[in-house]
Parts: sequence; C-alpha cells; structure tokens
Amino acid sequence: MIKRRFNLKPILKPRSVAIIGASRDPEKVGHVILQNYLDSGYSGKLYPVNKNAEDVSGLKAYKSVLDIKAQIDLAVVAVPAEAVPTVLEECGKAHVKGAVVVSGGFAEIGRDDLQERIVRIADKYGIAMIGPNCLGVMDPRSRIDTLFLPTYKLSRPKIGGVSFVSQSGAVGSTVLDLISNEGFGLSKFISYGNAAQIDETDILHYLMDDDETKVIIMYIEGIKRGKEFIELAKRLTRKKPVIVLKGGVTSEGSIAAHSHTAAMAGSAEAYDAVFRQFGFVVARDLSELMWFAKAFDTENLPEGDRIAVITNGGGAGVLVTDKISMYGLRLAEFSEAAEKEIKGTFSKLVAAKNPLDLVGDAGEKRYSQAMSIIQNEKNVDMIIAIVLFQTPGADSKVAAAMIHYKTIIEKPMIVISIGADYTEVHKKMMESSGLPVYDSPAAAVASLRELLKYAKYRKHADNAGISGKG
Amino acid sequence: MHMLEYFEAEKLLRIYGLSPIRSKYVSSAQEAASFSDGDEIVLKVLSDKAVHKSKAGLVIAGLKGEDEITRGYEELARKGKGFAPFRIIAQDMAKKGTEIIIGGKIDGQFGSMIMVGLGGIYVEAFKDVSLRVCPITEYDAMQMLDDLRSRDIITGGGEYKNMIIDLLMKVSRMFGEAGLKELDLNPVIVRKGGYDIVDIRMVK
Repeated sequence: MIKRRFNLKPILKPRSVAIIGASRDPEKVGHVILQNYLDSGYSGKLYPVNKNAEDVSGLKAYKSVLDIKAQIDLAVVAVPAEAVPTVLEECGKAHVKGAVVVSGGFAEIGRDDLQERIVRIADKYGIAMIGPNCLGVMDPRSRIDTLFLPTYKLSRPKIGGVSFVSQSGAVGSTVLDLISNEGFGLSKFISYGNAAQIDETDILHYLMDDDETKVIIMYIEGIKRGKEFIELAKRLTRKKPVIVLKGGVTSEGSIAAHSHTAAMAGSAEAYDAVFRQFGFVVARDLSELMWFAKAFDTENLPEGDRIAVITNGGGAGVLVTDKISMYGLRLAEFSEAAEKEIKGTFSKLVAAKNPLDLVGDAGEKRYSQAMSIIQNEKNVDMIIAIVLFQTPGADSKVAAAMIHYKTIIEKPMIVISIGADYTEVHKKMMESSGLPVYDSPAAAVASLRELLKYAKYRKHADNAGISGKG
Repeated sequence: MHMLEYFEAEKLLRIYGLSPIRSKYVSSAQEAASFSDGDEIVLKVLSDKAVHKSKAGLVIAGLKGEDEITRGYEELARKGKGFAPFRIIAQDMAKKGTEIIIGGKIDGQFGSMIMVGLGGIYVEAFKDVSLRVCPITEYDAMQMLDDLRSRDIITGGGEYKNMIIDLLMKVSRMFGEAGLKELDLNPVIVRKGGYDIVDIRMVK
C-alpha cells in the first residue's frame, strides 16, 4: 500500500518562486539560478532573497522569505548547509509549498543529523522538499529551471514528452546536454540528490499521472523503499514506459555509490530482477539510455518481431541482419503479393528479398517506391530504413520521403544513417520531424528489441490484469 | 535464525507438492544395507558444520551390496567425527540429468526472492542465475528461464521447461508462506519426465 504522496505541482508549476541565497556575485550558485530564471523567461513572480543586498540582477531583494508579503509556491534554497534549517523554518512560517534544496553538506558527507533536521522541519510545515545536494528541477513548459549551470555551458533541451529523473546531479546534467542534441524534447527534469524526503518512488508516482510525460528515463544508484517501489511499478509500467539505468552494478561500483549520494545500493542482481519482473526497460549505459529514449518517445509498440530492412548499401544490410539475429529478432519474409509488387516495380534491378537492397545509386524515387510497398506488408512488424548519405542518389529528397512515410506508417520505423557532416544535417532534419535516426546497427536493433520486449510485457500485464492495489 | 533439520525440511517440501528423493537416517551399516534393498545408494554426512559436503569428502555415491555399503558407512562414520554432532543419511541414487539450483533469499530492499540457475559445479563458474521477487507468476517463471544463457541446457531444449516452471512456482509459494530466510535446493537433477531434489538446505 502506498501511503504517502507528495504534490510536486508547486515545485514544477509554481506561480511564484523565491530564490534564497540569490547572490550579486556571478560566481555564486544563487546568482546563476536567478539568472537562469530571468533568461528562460519565467512568467511567474520571482523573489530574490539575500540578507545583505537591496537588489539582485535588477530585482528587489528581500532579507527573508518572511518579508515577502505574498504567496510563494516554490523556494529554491542555495545557502550553506548550516543555514538551511533556519531558512526552511522561515519558509514554513511563510507557508511556502515546495522547496528545492540544492545545497550540499548533508548525509553525503556524514551529516545525517543535519539532514534529519531539515526533513523534520519540512514535514512539520508540510513542505514538499527535493534534495538536498541536488541540481533541482526543470520544466521547459513552465520555464522552471533551478539548475545552477549557466545556459552557455549546458544547453537546455526543447519541450517534449520525456521526463528524466536522476539521483546524480552530474549524470543528470550530462544527459540533459545529450538530450538537447537529440531530436526528442523534455517534459521534466528532476535531480533529487540525497532524497531526504521526496524520493524516486514519490517522483515516479507524480510522473505516472502527469499527462505531459509520455516516457520516463531514470538514473538511480539505489532505491529507498523497495516494496513501495514495486507496488507503484506494477501500475506505472502499464501506463508508460520507464527506461532505467542503474549505477553501481559491480561491487566496486556499489562502494562508489555509497560514498556518492549516501544511498544504499542493494545487490545488483536483485535490482536487475525487479526491473525485468515489473516491466522496466533496462539500459546498461548512457548510450542505451539515449537510444531507447528516442525510440520510445516516437514509436508505437510493435505487434511482433518481424523486421523489414531497406537499404542503399548491401554491406550495411548484412550488418543489420547480423544484429537482428544476434538480438533474437527476425527478418520478415515478404508475402508473395509483396514480392510480386517488388518485381513489378523494380524489374531486375532490385532482388525481391529482405533486406531489400535498392542498390548504391538509389534516390528518392526508389526509396518511396519501396516504402509504399512495405508500409502495408502484413508480414512486417517493424521497419529499418538504411540511408547512407555518401552515395550519389541519397540527398535531402530521400530524407523528406522518409519523413513523409513516417507520418503515415503506424508500425515502428527507424532510420540508420552513418556518417559525418552531410549525414548529420539530414539526421537532424529527420529527427526533428519525429523519425529516430541511429548511427549504428547495434543501436537501432537494440532499440527495436526493447520496444518489442516492452510491448510483450504490456500485453501480458494487461491480460493478466496485474494490479497495483496490493 | 536456524537451519531446519533434514526431514523437517523434507516435510515442508511435500506440503507444497514437491517430492524430494527417498532418504533415511541410518545408524549402522546394516540399516543402510536394508535401505538399499539391493539398489545403488548414496551415503552422506549431515552436519550444520559441513556446508560443502562433496568437497569435504562427506558424500559417497554409487554404493551397492553389503560390502561396499559397510565400507562406505564406516568411512563416513570416521570422517563425521570431525563435524560432530553429525548424522549419516542414506539416499536413493538420482537418475541422470541436468543439475540445476533453485534457491531463495531475503533481499534487504525487496524482500523474498527466488532464484534459478545452472547447478552443481557450474554455479560458481558461470554465475548464470536469474531472480524474481516472490510470489512469482507462471509468466515470471518462464521469463526467469528465458533470462538464462544456459536456458537450453537447463530445459533440455525446452523439453522440460514446463516441469521447471511448475517447480519454481511451488518453491516461490513455499518460500514466502513458510517464512524461510534462506533456501538452497542444490542440486535438483532434472530430466525428461521427472526430477530429483537431492540436497536441501533451509534456514528459518
């Protein structure tokens, strides 16, 4: 039974924000946070709190939250650890609803006492608190950005449907930077650090019912409440895909995890088992996290494991075929009708077999003809289009044709394009239109495999009526 | 926490529809011979102090006839003194098959978990095991086997997959309901049409 529930809305959708520790010194965390709010165009009320300044970045500064005579939804706390309890007390008295404590210096360095103190204060006043020792939160829709990393160093992702939950701040910011370079956009970013009060289960609980979140990706080193986590997972993964990367899978890793965010890393095998049993998509590294995220963001779930491959390079087709068999998927066998159509369309130029090799000089016409045959082929569950842009016929028209078919095909369809600058331009073009592009056969096929695995889990869970009521 | 006595553990297995191999404590060579009734048997020293019985030479298999059984019994009676208190148990010989391990543990974070993997000498070498949180469903049991690299070896190319799935579900139920803390059924020897639970270790 899940007994507790925190409302993260005041933190992610605040109408007013106090930045406590907003400094005039550009080197200070509190200054960067305020500046980011100003840069991002946050439209709610913004109150810098600074004991020693009359104004910060052109805004009137307050000595304490108690001096702000207005409702404050969110307090971002960036003061030295020793000062946090007093600041939180004041927040409580000022009826602040949520707090993000970015300050470090708590359980992660052995100050469990100080951490317990701030939890008691937050609980006493009913403040929903994220942190301490965290990067905080981002919500591009509400233009909330508590990150103390300047925008010129860390690019911010565009608005989208992927929410990213990270225990670690460093992994969090790295992945955000990577996401900003991908085709998919961000719904929420929540770095929760020491999870003193709000932990991963609370956050997932909120995101489960968040309509702006379509896919959840998470980096964790440990889970605080295993049994509640499982109860939630039973409902959560039936509703939306959750891709998880767990740090600390080897014993050495576990020791590092312990000293990192003071989280207890349980046995790696048990975590892995729980993730698999309850329908999580398991990523083994940051690359897989990115690959899978973009597939789940745009693709429907497949009905089966049969893949059609079309290509303008025979060798690339062979490499993809190898991965398909290695990852336990199947090459589709074209129906007689499709074979006949292929022969009729291409005469002797293209052999009517899978992978469908359109030959090295294939241009927009051949790709479009092939896609139009394959889009309705009943023996095909998923489509991989290999487009090698180094060849004579492959240009922007081919990319545009792929985008066109992406909009009308409901089966999972992804592109593999491997190459440098010219390829990169076309990759961006396709990805920004919601067509995932991978730069290796392994990345592409592994992503399809995860889609299929998750599809099977969903089907099984729906049939079995797995319930999260227990 | 204490280890369950062998026949106490055996009884628990039977309650959950699991059938361990025929066994009996014997306190003389004659008793062992009469247990054998002309068939090949195994003699083992049971002691809380002896965890790795085979490595310590406390298991003698393939004994047949009064002479062999007497020699085996006397050898174990002598060796057993190093692990006192101890008892000697006689068992039927298991039929040939694949050795698997079925186990259970309490995970600090997630509670009761059940495990299956390639058993016998391969347990340590390959560490090819798969876990799930109890209680498991039939689907979970199937997935557990699919997770293993050795799935084709363990299931005889799928031939006795259903039997192992049934075993796992029964063990999962027993582990959770009986309040066990640790469980080792290692090895369980599986083959087409049957299995033998040869060794039992339960901690409650």
